Amino acid sequence: MIGQDRSALRIGVYVCHCGTNIAGVVDVEALTSWAAGLPHVALARHYKYMCSDPGQELVKRDIQEHNLNRIVVAACSPNLHEPTFRRAAENAGLNRFLVQMANIREQVSWVTDDHHEAYVKAQAHLAAAIRRVAMHEPLQRQFVQIRPQALVVGGGIAGIQAALTLADAGKDVILVEREPSIGGHMAMFDKTFPTLDCAACILTPKMTAVKLHPNIRLLTYSSVESVEGSVGNYHVKIRRKPRYINEELCVGCMLCIEGCVFTRARFPNPFDQGLGTRKPVWVPFAQAVPPIPVIDPETCLEIARGKCQKGCVEACGERSAIEFDQQEQVEEYDVGAIIVTTGFRTFDPSVIPYYGYGKYPNVYTSLEVERLLNAGGPTAGKLVLRDGSVPRRVGIVHCVGSRDKNHHAYCSRVCCMYALKLAHLVREKTGAEVYNCYIDIRTPGKGFEEFYNRVQDEGVHFIRGKVADVTPADGNGHLTMTVDDTLLGSIRQLDVDMVILAVALEPQGDANDVRRTFGISCSAEGFFLEKHPKLAPVNTANDGVFVAGACQGAKDIPDTVAQADAAAAKALAIIDAGQIELEPNTAWIEAAMCSGCKTCIPLCPYQAISRDEERAIAVIDPALCKGCGTCVAACPSGAAMQHLFSDEQVHAELEGLMLHL
Amino acid sequence: MNPETSDGGLAVLEEIGKASDGASPLGCMQCGLCAASCPLGYAMEFPPRKLILQVAAGNLDRVLGSPAIWMCVGCYTCSLRCPRDIELTDGLWPALRDRSMQAGHQPPAELQETFQNLFKYGNTLGKSPRQRLDWARGLDVPVLDLSKERRPVDVLWLVGCYPSYYPRNQVVSRAWARILTRLGVSWGVLGAKEKSVGECERMFGEEGLFETLVEQNSKLLNEQEFQTLVTLDPHAYRALHAFYPRHGAWYPVQHYTMFLAERLEQLRPGLVKPVEATVTYHDNCCVGRRCQCFDAPRALLEAIPGVKLVEMQRNRDNALCCGGGGGGMWLDGHIVAHGGHRLSDERIGQAAETGADILAVSCPYELARFEDAAKVKGLEGRLHVRDIIELLAVSLGLEEVPAEPS
Repeated sequence: MIGQDRSALRIGVYVCHCGTNIAGVVDVEALTSWAAGLPHVALARHYKYMCSDPGQELVKRDIQEHNLNRIVVAACSPNLHEPTFRRAAENAGLNRFLVQMANIREQVSWVTDDHHEAYVKAQAHLAAAIRRVAMHEPLQRQFVQIRPQALVVGGGIAGIQAALTLADAGKDVILVEREPSIGGHMAMFDKTFPTLDCAACILTPKMTAVKLHPNIRLLTYSSVESVEGSVGNYHVKIRRKPRYINEELCVGCMLCIEGCVFTRARFPNPFDQGLGTRKPVWVPFAQAVPPIPVIDPETCLEIARGKCQKGCVEACGERSAIEFDQQEQVEEYDVGAIIVTTGFRTFDPSVIPYYGYGKYPNVYTSLEVERLLNAGGPTAGKLVLRDGSVPRRVGIVHCVGSRDKNHHAYCSRVCCMYALKLAHLVREKTGAEVYNCYIDIRTPGKGFEEFYNRVQDEGVHFIRGKVADVTPADGNGHLTMTVDDTLLGSIRQLDVDMVILAVALEPQGDANDVRRTFGISCSAEGFFLEKHPKLAPVNTANDGVFVAGACQGAKDIPDTVAQADAAAAKALAIIDAGQIELEPNTAWIEAAMCSGCKTCIPLCPYQAISRDEERAIAVIDPALCKGCGTCVAACPSGAAMQHLFSDEQVHAELEGLMLHL
Repeated sequence: MNPETSDGGLAVLEEIGKASDGASPLGCMQCGLCAASCPLGYAMEFPPRKLILQVAAGNLDRVLGSPAIWMCVGCYTCSLRCPRDIELTDGLWPALRDRSMQAGHQPPAELQETFQNLFKYGNTLGKSPRQRLDWARGLDVPVLDLSKERRPVDVLWLVGCYPSYYPRNQVVSRAWARILTRLGVSWGVLGAKEKSVGECERMFGEEGLFETLVEQNSKLLNEQEFQTLVTLDPHAYRALHAFYPRHGAWYPVQHYTMFLAERLEQLRPGLVKPVEATVTYHDNCCVGRRCQCFDAPRALLEAIPGVKLVEMQRNRDNALCCGGGGGGMWLDGHIVAHGGHRLSDERIGQAAETGADILAVSCPYELARFEDAAKVKGLEGRLHVRDIIELLAVSLGLEEVPAEPS
């Protein structure tokens, strides 16, 4: 730094062998003696494992005994051990930001077998680190306070589980659900694999627990409109759609539905995948939580046309819970952590012309069949075709939209098992012949292979081949499935009454908007991206935002629940800490140099920059800044600067690299 | 029997994959979608899935001598559906045909005749290049022969072999010449210098011959000044659009349906004479399924007053091939002999099911194939086969009315 007394610099250099990882390629002894002769280097040592306790002790002792005021460790990636050596320096009384690492493992010894090249490159890295650390300044560690509440977005099984875990730990939770009821896809299913538990029997107790939990505020028919702030301090706006029924006054007697002037339910019920019907005032299913109906403004005569005898109002009577004049409302909350559990949608098979979905009425999606099998569904659990007849022969097509580069290259993970489950249920309820046409049967879960074996024993046909065509067999709705039976080695045509398409799980249609709202990323297939696929599976690029369930990737209920609890634990760890340390490499604006041109504001990927209108300059919120440096590079007047990345520091580092290459 | 070995098999697949636009056949997961989607897969000893499996197992010899090698009709259904995006139609098949001939296997006799024509005359019909312009004899609009008089033109029309020589197609060529003239664009043809574009040669496995043709045609085309190449042949379109650029030869090319659809508003005021008929359209494979151009031909048909357009059960992406591509035009005998059937016979039945009076087509092979199929199926006189160009010409008052549907 300008004005710094360079003569007082005493740099300690440590070269790590990392066993033979580094020392097997780089001559660490020669590197050390060479480094000892560089300007301002007070002492240089090499050691077998710098990250070990004795290695750290070495640094600490030298700082104290030799008055070192800068430390360079040439070892592995700073992603791994920078915190280790920063802590060691701090323990010896040195500011932790006066430490710099030179990565001579991942960037040197692991990428070449040429010992000479490796040595030269190690010299360059080391020289760069030494020159750079000379320019470092002591920085203060910064902490922010954390809001003790959490937000859970999405009321499927993942959101329910995460909310209950956090609430049971005594935290206040806001649970937001877009639909009129929580429950998600799981509430649509009849049975769950491989145990064949009744889905409602295991889900509804949890739904009720959500409703009754004193620490959970449940906001259904609502969606998150905006999120501002950063880890520990998010300000969230939630848009609440009008239900036209007052949630405080309604007791869930459902008399309004009976009283509705439409005596017959005649509008497609989305919860039943359009197979069943509903009235303008309706609940998705009997155990809905909250058990409060919702009025659809498009089909309600009073709301749409302003003229109706209002049988619902009469039925509600003195409670007067029906409010036709309800308006959309926005509620605001402050939370410390957010768990995104927005789930999946099923693939629309009508884009595959050769399966005839949407063209032939007896071609169904698996989700439609789930509703037909469900006692609460449109046929009260009877598996019948649209004409009311019971299918005698049923074909199940696996991998519809999955494992297909034309649609989704990935395996949806759950379809094999749910197709086996459907095969079992179809056989149990109808005795029909069932043909499962598959590419590979994938059953890698606890009790899954055993379930496959059980379904085989029940007499279900298994044909290894991807179905190529579904065509009408005659004019009576019968269908022919054409499939290459790859094990038999011949092409077969199977006549069936019903075709069930085991459709893929895919990201929600608005996943990209949701991603932007929460400042997280999507992977190539559109699911939300975890911070690390192995070591940070529920974290995201946004430190206080976690993901769980099928919004992160196709998964089954057991995995979803486990992930939801993991996300809850991570959120809890943040909230319970009370405060959180910020990375020091944030950017800041030198007010005197800022021209107020606003170039930086839209470029910031973290919305960390705002404009101070009074002073007409940009201001960076250090709690939001992630230190990406975009604004620093873009600022036309050089007013945007960054801790640990000042021009002097970067130039010194580059000089070090260049002079020794 | 010796135990199977896979020695060298994967290397062959890798090599084939590298020469095609799609993903490597090494990624085949043996799902069988190709085999069961193939309109002739049931009759093949080795449908695409088994070809890959056998080659991977080191049994290349076994497949190269199989009649299956000569049963692909180039419909692209397997390629478009393949979940692993493997280019089977114009990747795997031609590569294996090439290797089959190099290994000394003879192609079916009927195809050998075609080969002889190709080598001797430069076209599949065995006609002299001097007869290239016979179609224009007595035509009432001037035809600019760019091989004699080089001039910048808007449209260089590559007439193609069937439209040049085959009598039924010559009718369409004359109608097309009148439409081009009516549009007021300047246009020319290459006359006696025109050569085959080479699509069928390539699909036969004659990659070397194809490359020679690319070289010769590029030289010819580079001498000319034009805005757009237009062809009536979807196969030629596919070759110029996708295969030529692989050899560094890129030209702005359109199939005539694309060219006309862009100029529909200019045509529309002239479309005055009604064609009172129910029409169903057969999507050709190269422009349709392979290049996903489905709306242009339909827009043209719907612009004709009187036309009632109806769809066959299988249409657009899912249309059934006429069986004429990939060499199928010259392999009907071989295909039927090995347990297959003529797809044109099946397809015309599907067209008849719609109750249409006219089966509209946009590929030179299809006129001959479907008119023949109509005879076989006893539909002659009930279901008329017409190129879209003919129907447009009638409506524009540029052509004699074809035999009216009853």
